This record gives sequence, structure tokens and C-alpha cells, in this order.
Amino acid sequence: MFLDSDLLLSALRALTPILLAALGGAICERAGVFNIGLEGMMLMGCFTAVTTSWFTGSAWLGVLAAALAAAAYSLILAVGAVTLRGDAVVLGVAMNLLAVGLTGFLLRTVFGVQGTFDDPSLAGLPLVGGFTPLTYLSWAAVGVAAVLLSRHVWGLRLRGVGEAPDAAATLGVSPVGYKYGAILVSGVLCGLAGAQLALGNVTLFTENMTAGRGWIAVVAVMLGRAAPVGVLLAALLFGLAEAAGFRLQGLGLPQQATDAAPYVVTLGALFLTTARRRRRTRPSGAAT
Amino acid sequence: MSRRLRRSLQLAATTALVVTAATGCNAAAKKDGSDSAGGGSGKTFTLVTPDAVGQNEFLKLAVSGIEDAAKRHDGSQKVYESTDAASQQQNVQAAVDAEPDVVVLVGFEFADLVAQQAEKHPKQQFLIVDACTTKTYKNVSCAVFREHEGVFLAGAEAGLLSESGKVGAVDVLDTPQFRRYSDPFAAGAKKVAGKTETSTRFVGGQSPFDDSARAKEQANTLLAKGYDQIMAAAAAGNYGVFEAAKAKGAFAYGVDVNQCLSAPGTVVDNVIKRTDVAVEKGIEAVLAGKTGTTVSYGLKEGGISLTGLEDGVDSSKCVIAEHKDVLKQVEALRDQIVAGKLTVDDPAAS
Repeated sequence: MFLDSDLLLSALRALTPILLAALGGAICERAGVFNIGLEGMMLMGCFTAVTTSWFTGSAWLGVLAAALAAAAYSLILAVGAVTLRGDAVVLGVAMNLLAVGLTGFLLRTVFGVQGTFDDPSLAGLPLVGGFTPLTYLSWAAVGVAAVLLSRHVWGLRLRGVGEAPDAAATLGVSPVGYKYGAILVSGVLCGLAGAQLALGNVTLFTENMTAGRGWIAVVAVMLGRAAPVGVLLAALLFGLAEAAGFRLQGLGLPQQATDAAPYVVTLGALFLTTARRRRRTRPSGAAT
Repeated sequence: MSRRLRRSLQLAATTALVVTAATGCNAAAKKDGSDSAGGGSGKTFTLVTPDAVGQNEFLKLAVSGIEDAAKRHDGSQKVYESTDAASQQQNVQAAVDAEPDVVVLVGFEFADLVAQQAEKHPKQQFLIVDACTTKTYKNVSCAVFREHEGVFLAGAEAGLLSESGKVGAVDVLDTPQFRRYSDPFAAGAKKVAGKTETSTRFVGGQSPFDDSARAKEQANTLLAKGYDQIMAAAAAGNYGVFEAAKAKGAFAYGVDVNQCLSAPGTVVDNVIKRTDVAVEKGIEAVLAGKTGTTVSYGLKEGGISLTGLEDGVDSSKCVIAEHKDVLKQVEALRDQIVAGKLTVDDPAAS
């Protein structure tokens, strides 16, 4: 009754946009940039994907345009936080607010509608084995990011820039270049996340349709400690908790309680991981 | 979080505007729409809309309602279309400044604005459609809808059309006001097919009104259990519900306007609000001196209906157009409700 076949599928569908955005956030985090503008970059991706798909008739061009547009949008953070040394948190919040206003405004000017743009002939992404190709790409991206970050010289330098930018600079590694790179990659990934949401999960654009998924991605970055596999597990936990929450409603639990499911699970996971970490570090703490 | 921030920003912007207006620096409000040249001695009515009218059928009906009222009284009407919170405020101000016989406003957005104006201008008559002020004013009349009666009829259609014997609803939030769109749906289905299983899912989450992906997943949980008729009352999430139903070959029901056009062959029928009826009858009541009252419009008054029960059902692209036998039974139910022989429980009744 409770564990129907659709539960896992539903969880995996919910996972993809969050995972793509969280991977971008993790890469930024490793480069020493706290990126909370994921939500806004994703929303820009949603809008660009739908607009491009509508005018060209090709969902793939929509995906490409979404990645490029969100990368361009991420330059606000790159220029503001890296070149001008502004506060990344303030910039991130501003980007999220701007994206809501900008996409709402553009929706009115481009399509002349308010709230939602939806048309039966809007081209969405094809399904391969029940999922969009972007879903498989997101899983592959986890592997690629994990290997690059831990095994490749780029990853080593990126982490060096994040942990000790001055030391990296003395060794001839440009912190500015790597931080720009990390932010642009996160922009591309958030653009893909937006395309997945607006042309994969559903085929339409609604104002503010990201509905907090970018924030969940930020939490997944923290919970997964900015490691690609950790982020995947954290995002998966969210997806499962949400899908299970939907089904708990079917068992008669009130919506207000089932809504809390992902957050209860997160708090639990956070508590368990920190408790284990503290137990592990206690002996060394006592020795000093 | 972002939504809350956005709201507080909007609030700040509105407050700033109100202050500007109070100090008399308000720029001339934009006056959109049509000025009709009616008889000079007739009544004047002004309609203020919360959004651009455009293709919004809900607002288009309100415009035709005020046009009919003006025609009947050999008067003239003005329509001020707003685009955002700032222009709503300006348009209400402009409407009040022109001192028409009745200022008509459509939508919950105007409840607070009208409350402020009604106190400042006690001689100006206001009519709010689909909402009401929290306090009652002698010069503010309200027209609200009994949506649950229409939802009950949609539920009856679902009960008659369901092959699996399971009908469900995807609602926005679990509150009495929103349960008007789900509980009567179940009741309607059970009325015509007693053994029907019913279930409601609430979208919830961080932005329940905008999250079409989440609404789609909620619909999927119902579809996975064999529910084949789904009432979509999820605001912008409705489009997600339609997509989910379409993918599984199931059927859905829309609200407010004809949503069959969004997914022809999937959307069976819609519970529509006849804003034109509410505007026209509301104006009559105000002119007759019955002011400061709240009147509710349901099936009896013609304020609530189904697309299938209106003229033009054959060109509506609704699935129900192919089921005349079902429509006959639904019409019979409607007549019972209108005659008072059958009452639909209102989940929002305290």
C-alpha cells in the first residue's frame, strides 16, 4: 500500500533538479564561495528553457540556452563577490529576488500572460527509460565531479584556492580564475536544473516555480559537506522524504505534518552525522 | 524564505505608495480600457481589475457584467486595469476621485485598499467581488461565491464517469476555505455512486500556489493507486495535475475558467465563477439601497456553474461535451440544489 512502485520514481524525479543545483553549490563551496543564489539561477534557467523551447520548437536548444543564461546570470555573483569582494550571501539573496521579479516581468512582456505560461504544443524533454536524459546526466555529473575534485589537478587547485587562497596564489594558482570557473560551472548546472524542472518534471513556466528547491539544494550542500557523493545522498534523502510525505497524506496524516517530513529527516540526519563526528574527534581533543 | 522576503518587500513598496498618496504627491494614475459614451444622465460605474484583462476569462466576464449594467441604466462605465500592487492602489484612488455611482473591484487584492478608502469616503459606494473586507462598512457591499455547489456537481460527473470507482482531488492547502474544492467533490461522487472511493492530496510545501511540479507529483500518487478522475484545485499547480492525468490517460477537472483548452481530451469540465452575474446583480442591489451587505452567489443565482452547463459547451473542448447523458443527470442535481431540495455541505461554514 505505502511502498508502491511509484514511490522511488517520484523520489528520483524530485531529486534531479535539486541534485544538479546542489552539485553547483558544492563546487562553489569548495572554491570558497558560499553560493546561496542557486534558487535564482535555477529560475532563470526555467524561464530561458521554456522561452527558447517555445520559439525554436526544440527542447534541447532550450536546455542549452538555459545553461548559458544561468551561467551569464551567475556572473553577478562572480563579479560581485570575487572581483569586487562583496558579501556572497547578500549577493545571493539579491540574485534570488531579482530572478523572481525579472522572470515575472519577462513573462508579461514576452508572452503577455501573468502567473503561468502553458501550451499543449510546448516541446518538453523526451523520456528515456522513464527519466529525462538530464536525469542520467546528473548522476554522471556526480561521478565526474567526485573524481575531478579528489583526483585531478584542477580539483586539487580548486580546493587549495578555497582553503588557502594566499598559499595557492604563491604557488602560481590564480584564485580569481578558479573562483570564476567554479561560479560559472554552478551557473551551468543550475541552468540545467531549471531546464529539467520546466521541461522535464513539468512542461510549463510558472512565476516562482522553483518553489524553494534552490534553498533545499543549499542545505544539501551543507549536509553533504560539499562532497559530490555526500550531496547526492543528502538530496536523495530529501527526495525520498518528500515522496514518502505525499503518501503519508494518503494514510490520513494532515498535510501540515507531512509537509514537515523532509525537514524532520534533515534534522535527524544532521544530528546523527554531527554526533558521530564529535565522537570521532573527541579522543584527539582530549590529547591536546 | 524567498517568498516571505518578497512579500515584505511588496508590503514596504505598498506602504511607501500609501504614504506618497497621503502627502498628495501621487502621480496621475494610468487609466486603461474603455470609456463608453452612454447617455449623459445615466449612472456611472467604474471597474478596477487586479491584473490586465487580456485573455483572463474571469476578468473578461467582470467587464461584460459592468457593460451590461451600464447599458441597463443608460449610463457609462470605465475599466481600470492594474498590472501590479502599485497600479492597483493608483487605480482605486483614481476611481474614487472620479466619484462614480459604484466602484466595482474584483479580487481579494482589494479588500484592504477598499477598507481604507471606504472610511475616507463614506458617500462613495463600493462593490467587492470574490472577497470582502474584514470589517463591515455601510458603503461596502460584497459578492462572494458558493464554490462548493459547483464542485459538488463536478464530483457527480466524476462519480458517473469513473471506471475504477476512485475519484480524488489535488487541493492547495488543508484549510476550510480550500476544502470547498475537495470535500464537495467527494460528496458529489458518492451521491451518484455510493461505493466511490475518494481521497484528497494537498500540495503544501514552501509555495503551494506556484509549485506545479509538486502538484504533479501529488496527482501521481493518486493516479498510481488507480484514481482516474481528479479535481484540480491547485492554482498554478493545476497545469501540473493536467500533465500527470494526461500521461496516465486519466481525467481532470478545472476551476474558475475554462481550462479544457490547456489539455483538450483530459479536462472533463470546470467549476466556473460567473463574475458577470455577480457584478450585474451586485450593482442592482447597491442602486436599490441594499448596501453594506454580503451576498453569496451559487447555482441558484447563476453565479456558479460548470462549463458543461453553459452555452457553448460543444466548442469548449471539454470532455463532458461527449457525455450528454451525464450532463442530464448533473442538470437534475443542479435543479434539486436550486430548488433547495438538496444542500451541499460547506466546509468553510463555521
